[in-house]
Amino acid sequence: MEAFLQKIYTLGGPLLLGAVTTVEITVLSFIAAVVIGLLFALLKLGAPRPFVWLINIYVEVFRNTPVLAQVFIIYFGLAYSGIKVASLSAAIIGLGLNGGAVLTEVFRAGLSAIHRGQREAALSVGMTPWTSIRFIILPQTWRITLPPIGNYAIALLKDTAVVSAIAAPEIMFYARNLVTSTFETTYIYILAALLYFALSFPLARLVDHFEKRQRAWQ
Amino acid sequence: MIEFLSVYPENWASWWPQIQAAMWVTVKLTACAFALAAVVGMLLAVGKLSKTRAIRAFCTGYIEVARGVPALAVLFLLYYGLVPTGLVLDAFVAGFIGLGLSAAGYIAEVFRAGIEAIHKGQREAALSVGMTPMTSFRYIILPQALRIILAPLLNMLIILLKDTSICSLISTPELMLRAKDLAMMSFLPMHLFLLAAVLYFLMSWPLSIMTRRIEIRMRRSTG
Repeated sequence: MEAFLQKIYTLGGPLLLGAVTTVEITVLSFIAAVVIGLLFALLKLGAPRPFVWLINIYVEVFRNTPVLAQVFIIYFGLAYSGIKVASLSAAIIGLGLNGGAVLTEVFRAGLSAIHRGQREAALSVGMTPWTSIRFIILPQTWRITLPPIGNYAIALLKDTAVVSAIAAPEIMFYARNLVTSTFETTYIYILAALLYFALSFPLARLVDHFEKRQRAWQ
Repeated sequence: MIEFLSVYPENWASWWPQIQAAMWVTVKLTACAFALAAVVGMLLAVGKLSKTRAIRAFCTGYIEVARGVPALAVLFLLYYGLVPTGLVLDAFVAGFIGLGLSAAGYIAEVFRAGIEAIHKGQREAALSVGMTPMTSFRYIILPQALRIILAPLLNMLIILLKDTSICSLISTPELMLRAKDLAMMSFLPMHLFLLAAVLYFLMSWPLSIMTRRIEIRMRRSTG
């Protein structure tokens, strides 16, 4: 039993170190994805046609190709063209762009679920288009989009495992390094899986809470 | 631009046979993983509605864990982590089992939502006109539930198709691994990863369009 605990202790340290990076990558790419998603969804409402096409192409391309391919293009592909991107930045850019495409669709669905009359009413009482979006449309959109955004955050947290392939020092990367130095393969990968679960479980509960609240509203 | 593109015809004869074979592995991997996920997911969804508490708890627990652990961690556990216990899996088998068991958690939720969306009066009406529970499930519940879950199931298929790329990290000889190998050999990473992305897109996009069509039709028919 003591040997077992000792093992957990020596293996757990480096994995926890990786978990810090995993959280960092998740948070930064999440922020990037929300900004891109919200911006593009709003642009799709009012921007000139060519912009809307470009946004649609971006969404289709990023939603229909694997995130691993996207990250490889940014990390290995750009290096070949002379643009060196550090592994951590490549991970955040890749996951952020990927998530931006997902969230553009989520926000678009959220915005289009708000009845047109809301906007018309806001404009008719003298609000500018921007204030009507800021104070009337967006607050209602958040309510609808929170559960899918939460689900996306969980998926993102799990997707960060993929960037171990470009040597971003997160959980799976440390796990693979530990394997080559300790050969405790089974323990290490079980611990890594548990660590991800521990990180995503609170998020999943939060999403459940959002979904219940949303159902109560309807 | 022309210079960049001219690399493709120059290398096409040596790349394409390998890439094509790898694409087949990707398709097979996706199909096997999806089939496994559908079967396990269906069992979990039914198990979650079970009257026996232990079965319910197991299914709920499985779904929670499967949804909280990255597929990559499951793949590594199956492929590398089981070796010390004496169980050595082929990279393809480990790949589709790992992806399938992972996706089963999501598919279970899709099935459950589909079954729960059917008003229970439907079942009561079916039973009251003399159908057995089995026939009422087969002819009344299932056809309606399938309509509801078709779009989310197709979405899951698209996600699985894209996720097969991570099997390259346990050396399943699929599209991404082949692209990576060729990139290392030819020192043309940009060309090969772009090619891989285009091929994934060509496989995934028709599915996306189909899914969207179904979603739109569903929304219209349910109002």
